[in-house]
Amino acid sequence: MKYFLSFFFLCCALLLSAQNTATVSGTIRDAQNGETLIGATVEAVGLGKGNISNEYGFFSFTLPEGNDSVSLRFSYIGYQTSYRKIKPVGPIKLNVSLRSEDNVIEEVVIKANSLEEKMKSTEMSVTTISTKEAKLLPALLGEVDIIKILQLKPGITAGSEGTTGIFVRGGGADQNLIVLDEAVVYNANHLFGFFSTFNSDAVKDVKVYKGGFPAQYGGRLSSVIDVRMKEGNNQEFSGSGGLGLIASRLTLEGPIQKDKSSFIVSGRRTYADLITRGINKSNENTPDYNPIPDYYFYDLNTKVNFTLSEKDRLYLSGYFGRDVFKFKDETFNFLFDWGNTTGTARWNHVFGPKLFANTTFTYSDYRYRIRNILQGFSFSLGSNVNDVNTKVDFYYQPSNNHTVRFGANATYHDFVVGRLKAGSDDGEVKFEAGQTFDGMEYGLYANDEWAVTDRFKLSYGARISAWQNNPSFYARFEPRAAANFAINNKWSVKGSYTRMNQYVHLLASSGLSLPTDIWYPSTEGIKPEISDQVAIGTSYLLGDNLLITWEAWYKWLQNQLDFKDGAEVFGNSNLEDELTIGRGYAFSPLELEIEKKEGKLTGWIGYTLAWTKRSDFPDINRGEEFLPRFDTRHNLSIVALWNLSKRWQITATWVYTSGYVAWLPSGRFSFQDIPGGQTQALVPIYGDRNTYRYPAYMRADLGVVWKWKGKYTENDLTLSVYNATDRRNPYFIYINAETVETPLGDRPTRIYAEQVSLFPILPSITWNFKF
Amino acid sequence: MKINILKYIAPVAILAFVACNLSKEVDIELPEYERQPVVECYLEPGKPFRLLLTRSYSFFDPFGLDSSFFQNTLLQDAVVTISYNGQTDTLFNTFSFDPSPLKLFNYTGLNIVPATPGIDYQLNINLPDNEGNITGNTIMLPLVPIDSVVVEFSPDIDSIARALTYVTDDPAAKNYYRRLLHYNSLDSIPEQDFLADDRILTTTKLAFGTGYELREGDTVYNTVCHITKDYYDYYESVQLAVFGNINPFAQPSPIKSNVTGSGNPLGIFTCLVYERDTAIVKR
Repeated sequence: MKYFLSFFFLCCALLLSAQNTATVSGTIRDAQNGETLIGATVEAVGLGKGNISNEYGFFSFTLPEGNDSVSLRFSYIGYQTSYRKIKPVGPIKLNVSLRSEDNVIEEVVIKANSLEEKMKSTEMSVTTISTKEAKLLPALLGEVDIIKILQLKPGITAGSEGTTGIFVRGGGADQNLIVLDEAVVYNANHLFGFFSTFNSDAVKDVKVYKGGFPAQYGGRLSSVIDVRMKEGNNQEFSGSGGLGLIASRLTLEGPIQKDKSSFIVSGRRTYADLITRGINKSNENTPDYNPIPDYYFYDLNTKVNFTLSEKDRLYLSGYFGRDVFKFKDETFNFLFDWGNTTGTARWNHVFGPKLFANTTFTYSDYRYRIRNILQGFSFSLGSNVNDVNTKVDFYYQPSNNHTVRFGANATYHDFVVGRLKAGSDDGEVKFEAGQTFDGMEYGLYANDEWAVTDRFKLSYGARISAWQNNPSFYARFEPRAAANFAINNKWSVKGSYTRMNQYVHLLASSGLSLPTDIWYPSTEGIKPEISDQVAIGTSYLLGDNLLITWEAWYKWLQNQLDFKDGAEVFGNSNLEDELTIGRGYAFSPLELEIEKKEGKLTGWIGYTLAWTKRSDFPDINRGEEFLPRFDTRHNLSIVALWNLSKRWQITATWVYTSGYVAWLPSGRFSFQDIPGGQTQALVPIYGDRNTYRYPAYMRADLGVVWKWKGKYTENDLTLSVYNATDRRNPYFIYINAETVETPLGDRPTRIYAEQVSLFPILPSITWNFKF
Repeated sequence: MKINILKYIAPVAILAFVACNLSKEVDIELPEYERQPVVECYLEPGKPFRLLLTRSYSFFDPFGLDSSFFQNTLLQDAVVTISYNGQTDTLFNTFSFDPSPLKLFNYTGLNIVPATPGIDYQLNINLPDNEGNITGNTIMLPLVPIDSVVVEFSPDIDSIARALTYVTDDPAAKNYYRRLLHYNSLDSIPEQDFLADDRILTTTKLAFGTGYELREGDTVYNTVCHITKDYYDYYESVQLAVFGNINPFAQPSPIKSNVTGSGNPLGIFTCLVYERDTAIVKR
């Protein structure tokens, strides 16, 4: 605490340090729709001074005062570079709009320097994907999914084929802080993880931190996935949408008051249920026909923003999504639905050219509900977690050498864990189970990014986090540090250290994400999870537009949770008894990425060599070390986007993973059972956990995008071929048997292993339009 | 109460994969495995003391239907005793069976298992060839009788009916149950076979129901076993092991045996107390 206060006072002292300078500040936007541009560069030509816009599009930097005019260059990848002349006297406010490259008729050479900025930045272990980029890449069943694109980045694995699981640098699926416009999304999956909750039409971009976490982020151990929604076009009314194989999308956006305020509404829904209902209807008189269950999911994103004054801007955004699974026959009247709700109210206020503040209120809710109602009896089971969060973040630029961020947040969490009610309507038979919890989570942070010299940058800070859940109270100090040394204009070396604490935990009964997985708070018995991560790396800019980044990292994990074998997950009023606590570690000597962001051919190559282990769980593997299911040794991905012409683009991805691990049986026995029970000739005996590694996974996807302009619309047809080589990748392996009928029941005659694959070659076509 | 939603989805999914030609036989190497003795002993009141002692196999060891395979499976020549109420009965290495439904035993005693609740039983097995010993303990539980079986015809379709089976639970004790339901023959595969407990029961009545799937004249065999926690854990682990093999979403479980010893055994030694009601569906 003492060090934190000293540090904070140092920050305050910096407030007073700048003199005889002109401060240039403002916001950089897209000229066509008014969206703020994150990470755009502003630079005083010839002076070597400048900055990049923050996540709200705001920038600020200082110049020496003088009478000579200075030319400022504004650039952003994919946009035309723009120049402004200013006289560096006093505070200067500049709101700049950049034109998208798409609107340029003639060929324009873009000299955006985002790779150079990335090379020079203290930020490491960070990756950003824009929706624009994601929409070009081939997608499973044509459904563009920005989360699945992240799985193609080094250090991130999927955990299983076709799903939106994210396992970052040896961390579990729950160790990712997924935020949509700063509101936590607790379960970012539809259809048991095959699609994410993020509708590509409503999302602007996604930034992922795999390590080197800035101090403003806390609460999860392994990554921060920051998803930002579009703001809505404040210039003109427009719409976009698409018709795909499994879902359709429609987005409407436009100004409420031109240049001042705008809205965006975006919806998506699947329609397989409309077909299955028709099939069921046409077969309703067929004897012994088993109806197909109804399944659909939908999302609704909305956002409005208002420019209240030169210094104030207000954003209100929300998300609502549900998956619905229904089935009704003589035995069942079954409904299973789950989904997220989030809401964000954000107020940006510019105190002055050097100080910017963002005050945010968010609401997050995730719930699932299972109901079965039969004549005279009912059953319901559900869990939910919801948060109300308030936070304030300050962004302060006292001089060109320092960028200070500080802020605080407080979150109220409310948990309902496995609430079960079942019984007869007359009350004669009644089952009840479940637990409720609440808790307060606090965070207080400060961070300074200090350009010590032209070549050496240091980012240092800390976060104090705390958790209160009567009677437990935990307060933790989380130091954060990162450094970058530029050896020359093309080459830099970096290092970082972060400590993170996690106070809410996902209890998953398998390695895969399911809607019934339960969020559970830290309690007296369940201590907060802790991670420490160190990373070193180097970035080399080859030519102007090829960035080669190598990183090596080591991560220690404490207080990791898992279920004991055979745990009673549902209908349990004391879930803690079913948990076992251990440790873990993961490391990689080689996490390599080669990125190319400009030119006709863009894309990246990512490779990771990593080890992930868990240990010291008293109830698993006799406390000995074991591999978690998502451990993979080699991960290689190649992503290429080839811009053939303004109308044609060809994209391709290729993925190689050295195989996930699985827990397969080593022995078997016959189980006769009691009178009336079914004899099992083959009961697997499971020994040590996850000792078998699946064969390597390999997949090539291809995409072709054809764009054309109609009278009123801009259109594209996107052809995606998922698994273009039709390779049968292992999804899971089980042990099967050939049997013959005997008086003792079916007896196996031969046992063999059967590999099940999930997806053959899957071509799909999607029509997207804009008007 | 054990709830397993995915149990019903997995077989359909596997069928779908097979139908789409997405599954194929592969060669895999499984971890080394040393064969273990497997005990299955249910002490059923009114029946002789009897036990099935077999050996497990490495997973890919060949199966057979001939006598040599059974000889290789049955673990013979062990010395098996069960002690209770200050007496010790020896189970002789002789082959016996129950005809319907067919159950086999390779160790049988001369005495009948007493029905008195509360009796403690100790199992001791000395394996041949100095392979070690196996021990286990269990207790005879009281019978939990079926109070009633109520057949109700559907209010919507009057040709179909359901059966509701009621039992009274003792709230003073932690009770575990296994419910079996057969239609028309006890030799058939059970329509329902699941474990239940009274952990979250807030009343004293427990009900087991069927869907509206019965027709007039059907015979319904309702079995409610009052079981020990050891047996509950063992049977659950057997189910999870079987289910974990075929369902990618399920977490498998090692077998939770209640027999221990230097022979490194697997298995269950428990009393079996159950009531079986036979009802014929009629108006």
